[in-house]
Amino acid sequence: MTQQITLSGIEKHYGGYHALKGINLDIPKGQFVALVGPSGCGKSTLLRTIAGLETISGGRIEIAGRDVTAVPPRGRDIAMVFQSYALYPHLTVEGNMTYALRLKGLSKAEAKARAAEIAEITGLSALLQRYPRELSGGQRQRVAMGRAIVRDPAAFLFDEPLSNLDAALRVHMRAEIRKLHNRLGATSVYVTHDQIEAMTMADHVVVMRAGVVEQQGAPLELYDRPANQFVAGFIGSPAMNFVPGRVGEDEQSVALDLAGSPVLRFAGRRPSGEAVTVGLRPEHLELGGAGGNSLTLPVALVERTGSASYIVSDTDLMIAATERVADGLGQVTVHIASERVHLFHPTTGVALR
Amino acid sequence: MLAKNLWTRWVLLAVALVMVGFYLFPVYWMYITALKTNTETFQNPPTFWPHDPQFRFAEVWVKYGLDSYIKNSAIIAAGTVALVVILGTGCAYALARVRSVWMDLVLFTVLMMQVLPSSLMITPIFVAYNQVGMMDWPRTGVVLAQAAKVLPLYIVLVRAAFTQIPKELEEAALVDGNSRMGAFLFIAVPLARNGIMVTAILIFMQSLGEYVYARSLITDRALQPATVGLQFLTGPNASDWSGIMTYSAIYVTPILILFVALQRKIVSGLTSGALK
Ligand SMILES: Nc1ncnc2c1ncn2[C@@H]1O[C@H](COP(=O)(O)OP(=O)(O)OP(=O)(O)O)[C@@H](O)[C@H]1O
Ligand SMILES: [Mg+2]
Repeated sequence: MTQQITLSGIEKHYGGYHALKGINLDIPKGQFVALVGPSGCGKSTLLRTIAGLETISGGRIEIAGRDVTAVPPRGRDIAMVFQSYALYPHLTVEGNMTYALRLKGLSKAEAKARAAEIAEITGLSALLQRYPRELSGGQRQRVAMGRAIVRDPAAFLFDEPLSNLDAALRVHMRAEIRKLHNRLGATSVYVTHDQIEAMTMADHVVVMRAGVVEQQGAPLELYDRPANQFVAGFIGSPAMNFVPGRVGEDEQSVALDLAGSPVLRFAGRRPSGEAVTVGLRPEHLELGGAGGNSLTLPVALVERTGSASYIVSDTDLMIAATERVADGLGQVTVHIASERVHLFHPTTGVALR
Repeated sequence: MLAKNLWTRWVLLAVALVMVGFYLFPVYWMYITALKTNTETFQNPPTFWPHDPQFRFAEVWVKYGLDSYIKNSAIIAAGTVALVVILGTGCAYALARVRSVWMDLVLFTVLMMQVLPSSLMITPIFVAYNQVGMMDWPRTGVVLAQAAKVLPLYIVLVRAAFTQIPKELEEAALVDGNSRMGAFLFIAVPLARNGIMVTAILIFMQSLGEYVYARSLITDRALQPATVGLQFLTGPNASDWSGIMTYSAIYVTPILILFVALQRKIVSGLTSGALK
């Protein structure tokens, strides 16, 4: 597969602040890549760097096989959807959609025809003569999408395009955007702080923290084999439980630092006596299942959503169960498969395998 | 509750009407004096409505050579506006977009220039113009001096209009294929147009009333604006008061009409951003 976007060693300084620290990223043509991370980790900065809206302090950017490091945004052939949509308020929907085409040198008639075609795909046909202020939030979002699609660019860049929509519409647009991506076969980079969005939409997820890429890979790869405690805690909802522990004599089990020092077996071997942080996903702690790898935990609280029950133990360990749980439960016994027990270095957080 | 509300509203309305009357009285007096005969003007007690209205507009226009005066006023005002818009818009934009402590200092300095009164500035300007030979083009000289005087006001007001435009709109334009200059001209300027237009109109009107520079710099009567022309008619020996008032009425009526016609735009342009 050919690379559509290649970032090598991207550095960005804002005065004394080091916002991006040597980012390397290869995005094959047609892939949907999500950049996730907590607020302030540099996702938007990285995206704006690809767009050419930020000058970089070091590194190299290639788009469609061309070095564009020093090329201004207009020469990069990318389209961007902003969080605020950034629709031109003084232009109609049609004006917004044809703006870039006219700049490219298309005739008025050609541009209008192309806009009408894309309006059909995005369901905007009835709104072409309206001004942005006359549209609902969801419609504005569509116009922003339409304005990007109409360009037929080398890559789409999205900066949290759904964060201003209500929850239901967000879920709907999530699927919509992904379908559009498949249909257009476009290359997309999608910034979000919502890991669910990233997991459901992307082919490739890049997890960032404080200006560095912590891990990147296929969504399930990140879920199954997090490279460190940060990624483990960030990917998956509800978040993974972390409990300190110590590897036992047999080098294949770990004693948790909980009342009664329960022992869990894990896959692989670690030196005996090693201090570790044990990671247990709430949804991997299955109710019942005595013997083997099981834990008995006192119950402090039960939360029910209808489809799931979240049991919180007195040490704030969370268990996500799909079955209904009776009230007045004193304690629960849960089972976990040994290959689902994650171990991390207690200080560096690196996954131990 | 409702009755009380109604009462307050009536009282407030009455107060407002009295205040407006107070402010507009000189304008009213100008218009009726323009219509009075010279004898009626000095009648005691004064009349509040002319007995025998005289329409002397055409006569006054010719007698005092208003065509030349009004033309010069318009040239000076239009020239000032053109110069200020060309020089000030980019400056206001830069001041709106670049954020640093130094910008605040620059803005403060710009405002300081506004503080100096024309009557204080005229002497150094006169000397400087004399040295560079600017006195040969006195109207241009007045335009330059007046532009320098109102530029700070323009910059400050238009800068406020630019700061209301989200930066992302220009970034979208850059990504869409515009150059930096294109994004400024085709996105930022159209979006700030209300602010620019309103400020330009205010400056136009202010410059129509400019007196100090024109009085001191323009000696040739054919080049003088209406304000200076009017000044020659008043004074201890003035006799034709109703003529003077007719002159004034001719001079300010277009401005008043313009202001009333545009007042909604002006008020909304000054109070709210140009967006949304
Ligand atoms: N113009 C700037 N000047 C100085 N620092 C900046 C500037 N822009 C961003 N930063 C800093 O760079 C860091 C990364 O910012 P960025 O906007 O990329 O975060 P983000 O990951 O997109 O966060 P969010 O999810 O909140 O949007 C932040 O700590 C921010 O304070
Ligand atoms: Mg951001």
